[in-house]
Amino acid sequence: MPEPPVQDDKAIPLGQRLFDNVFLLLIAGILVMAAIYTGWGLWEILTLPPATLP
Amino acid sequence: MNATDFRTCPVTARRIHRPAETLVKANAVVAVVSLLIGAIAAVLLVLTRWQAVHLLPAEWFYRILGVHGMSMLIFFIIFYEMAVLIFASTALINARIAAPKLGWAAFALMLGGATLVEVIMWAGKADVLFTSYVPLKADPLYYLGIILFAVGALLVCGIFFANLVVARREQTYTGSLPLVVYGAVTAAIIAVITLLHGAAIYIPTFLWSLGLMNVDPQVYRMIWWGLGHSSQQINVAAMVAIWYMLGALTIGAVVLNEKISRSAFVLYILFISMASAHHLLVDPGMGSAWKIVNTSYFMYMAVLASMIHGFTVPAGMELGQRLRGVGTGMFGWLRKAPWGDPGFSSLVFSVVVFGFVGGITGVTIGTEQINIIVHNTLRVPGHFHATVVSGTAMAFMGATYYLIPLVFQRKVAFWGLAKIQPYLFAGGMFIFVMSMTFAGTFGVPRRHWDISFSQAPFDVAFNPAVDVLLAFVALGGIIAATGAFIFVAIAVKSVFFGEPIGTLVPGVAVVGLPQGITNPPVHAADVDRRNEELHAPGQGWLGPAPGTMVLVFVFLAAFIVYFFVNWKVLSFVWKIG
Amino acid sequence: MLTETHTGLDSPRGNWWKPAHKSERTWVAIAFGWCIVLFAMMPLWQVKGGQNPSGIRRKVEPAAFFARTQEFIKQYQIGDDRGMPIVAPPPGSDIYLTAMSFQWTPILQLEQGKEYILHLSSLDVNHGFSLYPINVNFQVVPGYDYGLRVTPTAAGDFRIICNEFCGIGHHTMVGRVIVVDSTGTVPSQSGGI
Repeated sequence: MPEPPVQDDKAIPLGQRLFDNVFLLLIAGILVMAAIYTGWGLWEILTLPPATLP
Repeated sequence: MNATDFRTCPVTARRIHRPAETLVKANAVVAVVSLLIGAIAAVLLVLTRWQAVHLLPAEWFYRILGVHGMSMLIFFIIFYEMAVLIFASTALINARIAAPKLGWAAFALMLGGATLVEVIMWAGKADVLFTSYVPLKADPLYYLGIILFAVGALLVCGIFFANLVVARREQTYTGSLPLVVYGAVTAAIIAVITLLHGAAIYIPTFLWSLGLMNVDPQVYRMIWWGLGHSSQQINVAAMVAIWYMLGALTIGAVVLNEKISRSAFVLYILFISMASAHHLLVDPGMGSAWKIVNTSYFMYMAVLASMIHGFTVPAGMELGQRLRGVGTGMFGWLRKAPWGDPGFSSLVFSVVVFGFVGGITGVTIGTEQINIIVHNTLRVPGHFHATVVSGTAMAFMGATYYLIPLVFQRKVAFWGLAKIQPYLFAGGMFIFVMSMTFAGTFGVPRRHWDISFSQAPFDVAFNPAVDVLLAFVALGGIIAATGAFIFVAIAVKSVFFGEPIGTLVPGVAVVGLPQGITNPPVHAADVDRRNEELHAPGQGWLGPAPGTMVLVFVFLAAFIVYFFVNWKVLSFVWKIG
Repeated sequence: MLTETHTGLDSPRGNWWKPAHKSERTWVAIAFGWCIVLFAMMPLWQVKGGQNPSGIRRKVEPAAFFARTQEFIKQYQIGDDRGMPIVAPPPGSDIYLTAMSFQWTPILQLEQGKEYILHLSSLDVNHGFSLYPINVNFQVVPGYDYGLRVTPTAAGDFRIICNEFCGIGHHTMVGRVIVVDSTGTVPSQSGGI
């Protein structure tokens, strides 16, 4: 994890510090996709009931 | 690391790490070669779909369609993106490449994988098209080639992040990363998401092709599109980064507000990959809740991001012009812009066609229910040629006109042709995209060799307009391909046989060098004061970029009309539920 | 409220977490509102609209689905066209259409204005169900039974084009759906609009 940037301003707001943290964004990006698209999608497919073919 | 590894850029005064630069060059050259293969394939394809010519036999049509997809959407685009990632994480922040040897190993893996895939496809051992939906089966070496390529690309993403860490530690820049590099970070993160899905699907599929395991067709489609669509979202992020870069280089575009622009990139990181669901809206595997949440990028958060960039990029350009006193009135900044600079014209065409055509059609056809009248028709390739080709490829071409002098330190060859190339390419693609989209509204299928259905058991009679539209697809395609061939010729001649740029005198035009290089758009010393004035409340609610405000409302109006017209059309078809 | 004026190639220094100009905030707010409209249309159409891809979705053995299709054909066959059985099931029933390389089995004869539950599946690879010229498209995935409640709103002689690449004979894969009106006749034009 990189050190916080050397800033000429004392108070850097939390939002800016979060946005500057690329590894946090990397993890967040992977997790959101893995949970909402891939994980949920797999669960949808794998829990489909068998057809009754009425 | 020693000092001779660096040179100083005569234009931007940045410190350039030579080993990184060599890797950028290698990746860019392979990208251009892939573009050439893809463009040749494109000509063969449009001349086949033009029913009056119907050039290729069926077998070769499908084979070349696979070649076109892989060469363009994967090899051209991703090799170029690797060049962008290395360039952004070194040259733009005065940094060095953290692991040059690993960079070459990754390049070798990608090149080896791509070559293997091309050989297998041309040999007719992988007639499964770009998507290779299981259980259609290709030679195991085809899947292996893609895996090698993906591993190489993943390594480059790793090197990209390592470069950022090293740059921060060695303090090669102060403050936050430049916005353009931030866009590259976004592209790299989406690339990691994409490549993880690629690994998750191609490794099992490789084993399946060897008879070692089973792969479910629906699971394949779901995870494969996590690769297939997300890879095109890498493009979006890289393209937007290039928009900001070209705006700065050509007309001194400024960043209106860092928080807003970066928020848009963060929204991409979090939500844009979910759009992989666009391909699965009429699939049996997933329910409506999953479809709605995913196809909407979690309530259209990535669309919001694109609409933000669609404002901040042109507004930054407008403000950049106004700050330098170029142009007066609402649109003087556009009229007085350097339209003869291929970097600038490419930028404008990329923004306009990506937004107005690619963006609006993409969001509309990616709506859960509207997709019923769109899925697998020509409207789909119509849409993505507006985004990936008119948007991304056009932006990459524009960037190349600056990378040739800045990275390769050569003049741009065939300068006269270079000036008109963006017009040719964008114009041809526009004809192609519009004709294809309209043909799709008649229900003409994509990926289809013969819509005269001469060998089918039942006749299908398309509206005669379809024949005309497909002829226009061919016409537009050939014009655009000509633009692509000219681009390849310019790139190859410049890079391998080009004249060195020589000594530059600011303000003196040189044939073969874009205006942004011979006459850089420098802002005056009192730019902050001028900026303050343009932001003053007296400027009215349209703010510092009134021209752009007007343009984005025109865009929104077009979007609203197109979206609701499609709902109306949908309401006319059979009742389905 | 402004940071130092700079381009996207420069590193912004210090605190850039600052509010944007009113014009920019206005556009972001309008764009956000439009995104909510885009989103709301989908659940709204689920409730109010007549066309939704939700369906009855199940897993199925391809062979079992094909066997059920053949049983269905035997039950309701009224004739054939070029060797392909024509089946006229009663309104309201479950009807079966099997896709395989490179044909759609059987030919369905339906009544205008009546609802049927159309079951789609494939015996081999992915196929694309594209009803021409209505332009209604669904993905047909082997191993999955996609049950859609359909109501033909107009009579006619329709085609089913395969619009998912399924192999070298993909472009010959055309099926047929006949919709008769209340008098039991089919309008004369074939596949026209």
